[in-house]
Amino acid sequence: MVLVPVVALVLGAALALFFSRPLTGVYGQYLAVACLAGLDSICGGVRSGLEGKFHNDVFLSGFIFNIVIAFFLAWLGDQIYLDLFLAVALVLGARIFNNLSLIRRFLLTKWQDNRERKRMQEMVQSSGQAESIQ
Amino acid sequence: MNPFASRISGNSWVTPVSAMSLVLGFMIATAWVNKETRVSRFGLLGPAQGNRVQSGSIDMEEAVANAQAEVAKLRLENTKLQNAMASQTSSTRALNDSLQEVKILAGLTELEGPGIRVEMRDSKKPASGIFPADLIIHDVDVLKVVNELWNAGAEGIAVNNHRVVGGTSFRCVGSVILVDNVRIASPVIIRAIGDPATLKGALELPDGVLSDLRDIDPAMVVISKIDKHRVPAFAGSTATRIGSVPKESK
Repeated sequence: MVLVPVVALVLGAALALFFSRPLTGVYGQYLAVACLAGLDSICGGVRSGLEGKFHNDVFLSGFIFNIVIAFFLAWLGDQIYLDLFLAVALVLGARIFNNLSLIRRFLLTKWQDNRERKRMQEMVQSSGQAESIQ
Repeated sequence: MNPFASRISGNSWVTPVSAMSLVLGFMIATAWVNKETRVSRFGLLGPAQGNRVQSGSIDMEEAVANAQAEVAKLRLENTKLQNAMASQTSSTRALNDSLQEVKILAGLTELEGPGIRVEMRDSKKPASGIFPADLIIHDVDVLKVVNELWNAGAEGIAVNNHRVVGGTSFRCVGSVILVDNVRIASPVIIRAIGDPATLKGALELPDGVLSDLRDIDPAMVVISKIDKHRVPAFAGSTATRIGSVPKESK
């Protein structure tokens, strides 16, 4: 399930290679920070999906607004000579880390649960067989 | 029943997240730094990150090469114009002949003829028992060879296709050698125009400029005679900023 968005990400990058040209200059920088916001939203979406708390409207609005805000903050920082760019990168970077670690823990727990369940089933089966032999 | 449909309908988040992932992938590819956008975005980085990024790749190399090609083209045009002017009268012709002679001496024209090719490369020997810095070609090695070649009567010298002229400097910055601020690294290929036997003999003198390198690893230096080759014209700046010719010698 988690792999589907990853494949879509690669697909989107491939589409961009065919249909658009990389941005030059300062707008490339703003877009780079917006990408960070998008990445954070995607990670958040996957996380809430895995946790079963996913809401489509929250996710979509969050994705679009975060991108716009990141872009705007980076632009504003350049207008008032303040490195808001760095602030955005720092906050979003921390959030991406947080989201990814939650995803990792969720998947790890699921995997461990599966293993445990399989072990229990085998135990039950083998004890059943042992009883039938006796 | 389609097994995928039931799985996806149970995970309503997969479709919107994947759709937005597609958009994000598009954005990232657009924001990606490539050859064309690198120059315009490099100046926007802070000094620390700028240094970090630049140490990874020598990204100005291409720009320098382009500028040098342009300079070479303009100088060639200049020579053609001078020749055209000279064809008018005998006095301008005489003037032009001496001008072209001076340009050859200054290294502003290409030069063709027999000569030698010296290839110097870092040793691949393991550094056991040897001081590791001895295994590397340094700026001083290049400088010594060029000096010896001038001494042996070389008429034109190029280091990695960069013409050596009166003001050429050889310097070391980290792991690269700077020839007139053009970065080169091992292998260093020095080509010289002159009498091949004399040039080769001068470099192979016992206790000569290359004996130290060859003592460490004979594979570090390869010298070959060449019947006919061409060294490029100097492509750097020739403008003087400080000095000027005194009136009485004009």
